[in-house]
Amino acid sequence: MDQGLQNLETSSFYVMLMAYTLCMIFYWIWIGTKNVLMGRFATYLTITGIIANTAAIFLRMIIAGRPPLSNSYEFLLTFVWGIIFVYLFIEYRYKLRSLGAFVMPVAFLILMFIIMSMGPEERIAQAIPPALKSKWLTFHVVTAMFSYGAFAISFGLGIMYLLKISEEGKGKKSSPQGIISRFPALDMIDELSYKVIGFAFPLLTLCIITGAIWANYAWGTYWSWDPKETWSLITWIIYAAYLHARLMYGWKGKRAAWMTVFGFAAVLFTFFGVNYFLPGLHSYAISQPNIIA
Amino acid sequence: MKEQREGIVEDIWRVFSSMKLGLVLLGLVALVAGVGTVFPQVNLDPEKAKEVGRIWQTLGFTQIYSTIWFRLLMGLLCINLIVCSIQRFQGIYNRTFALKPPESISTVPNKVKAKLRGEGEPLKISVQDVLQRRGFKVTTTEGDKGWSFIAIKKRLGNWGSLISHISFVVLVIGAIMGTTMGFKGFFMISAGTTIPINSINVSRGTVKQDFSVHIYSAEDRFLADGERDNWYTDMGIIENGQEIIRQTISVNHPLTYKGVTFYQTNFANGVRLTADIKDHKIPVVLQDRGGNYFQAPGTELYLIVAAIKSDPQKPIIQYQVYKGKSVQPVQTGQVSVGQTIDVQGEYKLTLEGNAGFTGLQVKQDPGVIVVWLGCALLLLGLLLSFYWRTMVVLGVFESGQGTDGELTMGAMAGKVAGGVQEEFDRLIHDIQAK
Repeated sequence: MDQGLQNLETSSFYVMLMAYTLCMIFYWIWIGTKNVLMGRFATYLTITGIIANTAAIFLRMIIAGRPPLSNSYEFLLTFVWGIIFVYLFIEYRYKLRSLGAFVMPVAFLILMFIIMSMGPEERIAQAIPPALKSKWLTFHVVTAMFSYGAFAISFGLGIMYLLKISEEGKGKKSSPQGIISRFPALDMIDELSYKVIGFAFPLLTLCIITGAIWANYAWGTYWSWDPKETWSLITWIIYAAYLHARLMYGWKGKRAAWMTVFGFAAVLFTFFGVNYFLPGLHSYAISQPNIIA
Repeated sequence: MKEQREGIVEDIWRVFSSMKLGLVLLGLVALVAGVGTVFPQVNLDPEKAKEVGRIWQTLGFTQIYSTIWFRLLMGLLCINLIVCSIQRFQGIYNRTFALKPPESISTVPNKVKAKLRGEGEPLKISVQDVLQRRGFKVTTTEGDKGWSFIAIKKRLGNWGSLISHISFVVLVIGAIMGTTMGFKGFFMISAGTTIPINSINVSRGTVKQDFSVHIYSAEDRFLADGERDNWYTDMGIIENGQEIIRQTISVNHPLTYKGVTFYQTNFANGVRLTADIKDHKIPVVLQDRGGNYFQAPGTELYLIVAAIKSDPQKPIIQYQVYKGKSVQPVQTGQVSVGQTIDVQGEYKLTLEGNAGFTGLQVKQDPGVIVVWLGCALLLLGLLLSFYWRTMVVLGVFESGQGTDGELTMGAMAGKVAGGVQEEFDRLIHDIQAK
């Protein structure tokens, strides 16, 4: 039974990988050719990908008998899910398919990271140390999933803004055939990016708070300046600065777009950089089954 | 002289009420915090922190978060937040509870704006009716040329920013209470042992309580599939010779008594032994991997347990005996449960069975509750700011000829215009439909 489920989970992972890779290519083709069919394919493939992604997460949950949020592989799987979920909502709500060409590469690169750096033994369900057996971990990681996913979207919007403004800065009027013509108006990209960050920022705060509650239960210390805690605070400060600068000093447009890029770089460093360069209490985030507390 | 002093106070007030200063301080906090993640910190990795160059250690880079200048930075940020909050309080209060209808068209927001024509009185009734139905609190006033109104919805949203800024100060107060009051300590003892709480090793503060802790059992439990379940400690609190509480704690499930919390943070295997020294039997509990030792009274012999095979049915130990300051053991060997061996002709040693050693972190932190209050306020403030945005609609009706005239209406939501347009359009549609 377990082996069957394991095989199914592996299959779901590869279906998801194929779907996300192909949808990225189709989004690029769509943005270059304006072919409506290509655009539809891209969206359908994204939906297929998120179904497979959801299946992989649920199967892992059944196999492990716990929420699938306890090591790098499991978190990356949920991180990608968060990115795609927020993206599909934005595409549906704002009819913004061009964003897919910039967001899908983020999901694709994360999946490539899994393929290249994690062996099969790191991807299978592993025993977890007692410290990770907490309901607060679930809240902590679920809030991280949505907030990080939304920050990835604001990053994609930031890149779109910077490309569009750089093209217009060269004095070129976006040609109706050009790729940039697929992008919405600068003001709309900017406003949407702010909305997405406005949604994600309270979630990031909740993520940090639930992490503190959990740490207090597990270790009796709600804040220990562990590198991951510290970098999540730095990420929080970058986005707090973005919101203050925008509301108080009217930092919109180019400067705001750059801040979304820096903010997402901090998000990535909080995950990858800290896990691989600055290990601390969160060392279990790297797949090592025998580390306790 | 007095004027000069007042001038200085005003200057200081002005500096601290600047949002720019707040942003610079936040940036510095982020920078210093980031530097602290590059240098090993004493509280997280004391061994590696000692290997850092002496100059960096002297400058405080290995304990950056407890240096005076990092605390000063946090203190300045708190002052900045308090001053900014006081400065903005009146404005927020006025924007929420003392709204005045506009006196002229020029004060109607420009970004989200519409003009409606109609008869003065029926239009006023329609506007009031539609806005009230949509949850707005409406205030109207009569003027020379006609009438004007202002309406507000979700007005608590205005307080979001102030609450979230104040919450940071509450968090810092909680953290200060945690470091200046209470204590933090650790003990690792074997099952069957009682320890007075005021005799444990503390890394911060002093223990004022005088109860004792008795450990009934310490277990490292495994599930049927071989996966570790958790570490469990069955413990009791003894006060004035009476057991007050008996509870089993595990990782993530602490016990709190009189503000002191016991966290299960560590576990080690151990064994129960009996040392028979000239017919005088002494119970001994030793920890795996030489975690502690037994010195037989009247001898210079030190016994440690180098390894344990903690089979519940048949535990076996690998022991080593050292004499004085010798580096090499004078005796080594294996003992299985029930077996008795002779140690250097000085005493006999019998292995009785397994005994778990539990490692408990003990903490009294009166600031924790304040920290949680700060977290709740922070979250409340952010939710009000981003998910409960105040919307204000205002307008001026100016009569033309006869009873007809033009109503100029506008809307705003905090400092943001985006997202208001849709709701404003719906309001205009409803008013026109009336």
